[in-house]
Amino acid sequence: MTGAIEAESLSKSFGDTKSVDGITFRVEESEIYGFLGSNGAGKSTTMMMLTTLLRPTSGSARVAGFDVVREAARVRSHIGFVQQENAVDEYLTGRENLVLQARLSRVERNEAKGRIDELLDTIGLVDRQHDATVTYSGGMKKRLDIACGLLHRPSVLFLDEPTVGLDIQTRRRIWESIRRMHREHGMTVFLSTHYMEEADELCDRVCIIDEGRIRAVGRPGEMKGRMGRDVITMEAGGSARRLADRIGAMQGVKSVDVRGDSVTAYVQDGAGMMPAIFGEADSLGVTIRAVSMSKPSMDDVYISYTGHQIREQGPEPRRRRRGI
Amino acid sequence: MSFGPDVYAIFWREMKRYRKSKSGVLIRLIQPAVWIVVVGNTFSGTKPLIQAAGFDGEYIEFMAAGVIVLTAIFTSIFGGVNTLWDRRYGFMNKALVSPISRSSLALGKMLAISTVSVLQASLIIGISLAIGVQFSDYAMIIPIMAVVLLFSLGFSGISVMVAATAKSQEAFWGIINFLGMPLFMISPALFPLELLPEWLATLAKFNPATYTILMVREMMTGVPSGVPAALSLGILAAFVAAVVVVAGWTFTRDVNRPF
Repeated sequence: MTGAIEAESLSKSFGDTKSVDGITFRVEESEIYGFLGSNGAGKSTTMMMLTTLLRPTSGSARVAGFDVVREAARVRSHIGFVQQENAVDEYLTGRENLVLQARLSRVERNEAKGRIDELLDTIGLVDRQHDATVTYSGGMKKRLDIACGLLHRPSVLFLDEPTVGLDIQTRRRIWESIRRMHREHGMTVFLSTHYMEEADELCDRVCIIDEGRIRAVGRPGEMKGRMGRDVITMEAGGSARRLADRIGAMQGVKSVDVRGDSVTAYVQDGAGMMPAIFGEADSLGVTIRAVSMSKPSMDDVYISYTGHQIREQGPEPRRRRRGI
Repeated sequence: MSFGPDVYAIFWREMKRYRKSKSGVLIRLIQPAVWIVVVGNTFSGTKPLIQAAGFDGEYIEFMAAGVIVLTAIFTSIFGGVNTLWDRRYGFMNKALVSPISRSSLALGKMLAISTVSVLQASLIIGISLAIGVQFSDYAMIIPIMAVVLLFSLGFSGISVMVAATAKSQEAFWGIINFLGMPLFMISPALFPLELLPEWLATLAKFNPATYTILMVREMMTGVPSGVPAALSLGILAAFVAAVVVVAGWTFTRDVNRPF
């Protein structure tokens, strides 16, 4: 059984910079697979190699069973690609954009008509289909763009940062659209994101990529589970480092993280451990100025694998195609 | 083979965009309209000169053919600019990950640009008629259009090729402006080749626009151009065929070259 995507030591260098550094992974059919990483981690480059837009420097990849270099044309007829930047043609109406996509992907005319009606309904743009897309909101354009990626029923759909730069309600609508389309068509979805919650919300499996290398792969739930069931965050007055060492030695503590005065402990039973932690702090002469308890998030998972927080700085700078 | 439908897909998109940019149609008409009205009248006193070179008629009738080809030169050589935008804003990648071939992408664009060029040229013919230019035979408008279409296909190929390989907007405009004006000036567009200095006249013989202008002028005025129409057509066709092949090849090789 071949996977929907199989990458083998895939690498891409630009000059001396190794953008993607020998990654190997496998995406199963019908799964939603997330590539999670900060800006410049190598997500877009990987996606461009998988969609035949970039030739790998070394290594290989198969998408829908075809080699991305030697069988690029066959890969192209099996994939949909929704780019990070909006590729909706603003001179055309919403419907015309879908018609264009149908022609580009050689969907037969009558067949296309039915699918377009259906997709417009899924993305909630039936009423606006004959308006020029220049009048659409960012979220509407993005939904249309995703629908374009799906029109020819690709077996693998690539979504590059599908909700970057959109507000939270809009993002939720897009997630809903993606889930709905996935439910209806059952295609494999490969998405890249630097939003933790997006990976958490949508993905069956998440792959954490950092500096061109894969740091971890797993189901979001399991990855969070490995972190312990609760996260206790404390503001320590005094030596945070010594407090952290002490907590780290306690039973039922999975890991401890120190950042300035702030100590974060990943534990099995947060409520039960709290008194003991305060006791340890007292005996060290460290005061705990504030404390909070939460469930582990993908954020915590990410930090634990990469050693740094995701740099939240808006959309990744557009990779300039030869400086245009 | 789905080459035809693939080319049409791109052609269809380009024409939709053209239809929706109505202001562009008028803006692109201004320059040739100024040429024909202003230059056509400014040089009306040169009638004896062009008569001496064998053209029996008003200057404006002589240069109208030049302005029709001027329209075609500039519409088609600027026409590839949206390929730059496409490379910048997503559409190009969208087309490149679709099953259609790179050469159908190039050809679809070239055909659309050439069609627009013919439409613009026909508007200039309309303006010429309105200001009193007379045709020896109005049925000739159809073959004139055909020649303009063929010629534009060649120049749009140059434009698309430059746009697919240019590293920046500035590079594109630099190259295009470097090509456009000389191709118009070093030709019999404004004055008969006989009146040009020897070296310019020789240069003009290497310019495909020269043969196009001679053919269009002969069809408009009925005055023999001095070069047999079949020879002019042959030279033009050879030029266009070469450009189409090179453009298709360049586009395929360069348009998604790693940046």
